[in-house]
Amino acid sequence: MDDLQFRRSIYADPKNLDDALQAALSQDPKKQQFAQEIDRLDDEILQALNVPVPDDLADKLLLKQSFASHRQQKRKTRWHLAIAASIAFAFGLTLNFMLFSNAYSNLSDHALAHVYYEEGYFDNNSQARVSLASLNDKMSDFNASFDSTLGELIAADYCRFNGLKVLHLVFQGNTNPVTVFVVPESDMKFTESFADEKYQGRAMEFSSKAVNGNIVVIGDENESIDQWQRNINDKVQWSI
Amino acid sequence: MIKKLVRNKSEQDQVSSNMTTKQTRYEALVKALHGDLYRYAFWLTHDKQVSEDLVQETFLRAWRALDSLKDEKAAKSWLITILRRENARRFERKRFDMGEYEESAITDTYSASNEQEMENHWLREKIAKLPEEYREPLVLQVLGGFSGEEIAGILSLNKNTVMTRLFRARNQLKDALDDEPMMRGIHNG
Repeated sequence: MDDLQFRRSIYADPKNLDDALQAALSQDPKKQQFAQEIDRLDDEILQALNVPVPDDLADKLLLKQSFASHRQQKRKTRWHLAIAASIAFAFGLTLNFMLFSNAYSNLSDHALAHVYYEEGYFDNNSQARVSLASLNDKMSDFNASFDSTLGELIAADYCRFNGLKVLHLVFQGNTNPVTVFVVPESDMKFTESFADEKYQGRAMEFSSKAVNGNIVVIGDENESIDQWQRNINDKVQWSI
Repeated sequence: MIKKLVRNKSEQDQVSSNMTTKQTRYEALVKALHGDLYRYAFWLTHDKQVSEDLVQETFLRAWRALDSLKDEKAAKSWLITILRRENARRFERKRFDMGEYEESAITDTYSASNEQEMENHWLREKIAKLPEEYREPLVLQVLGGFSGEEIAGILSLNKNTVMTRLFRARNQLKDALDDEPMMRGIHNG
């Protein structure tokens, strides 16, 4: 080991001398002296580097940490609460939607569904009759009346379309009863003409008068629905 | 339902016992290493207050990431790595004029009551004047007790570079000592 290499090694790490350095040391008193000198220098460096640490630093560190973790915990509970509240809110919304949402948003769908639902109750050959007077009595709720009877009226009663009060009239038809609905104004959409495999229907809107309302006629394919529609149009009177 | 409650309770107990273990670990870490960290910070920043802030920030980060410290033996170099990063962040935030520090800022922490203290003071100034890249490995080696490989790891340098810098650091200090006849006298005396 040459002198330069020796010095470099001692300078780089005077406290950890490897075997080669130890061997070189033991052979040369001058090297020993140099090594001791640097060793002493290192002790001095260590002392110089050992600046005093503030006494309360450890306590400060612990205090700061306990504050920080306390804050963190508090944030966590708030976060949990927020999640719970959100879930409850979403659940409430869903329930509300499921319970109170409309099965049908369309007037004609409602009317058709209602006709199918009550299909069995009315017999075209039924002898039951409702007089024009008692019909007009019921019609007065809608501020409307008929001048003369439209046909043989089998039944007249109030029904509900999704909470909406509707007058349900059943007339004798050619083969099957013809259904007429008097519907007050609502935000339900309607199509003027509709049909499915069994029934056809027309909906009329009366909105030019003081009172607004719709009249829906539904009958099977043997009926001239247009004729019914014209009749109704002619005979209905809307009062103010 | 009750079963669930009971389970929740025991989970909570486990969490809180984990918290207690973490707390104990953390306190041990603070007690054992805050001095070394502070001194290291001081030799990085030459400012007592900044060093204290830096150590506080370092330990806060250490607390948050304590679970990622698996090997307790690596704690010191782990903390030093955090501290160096925090120090670098400080410069990103605000560029202090740290290159040209006042020499009086190298505080004389002891009153120069005896020769040893005077010499410490003198040597501190010399160490503070060493280029940063020489001083840092020296502090890590002498104060931190790290080996050449470990220092190379912390500073992301290769080991030969570290050894060369250590050699130059001591060489410069030795030369400074030899050039100071007055101090030399005290040194020998």
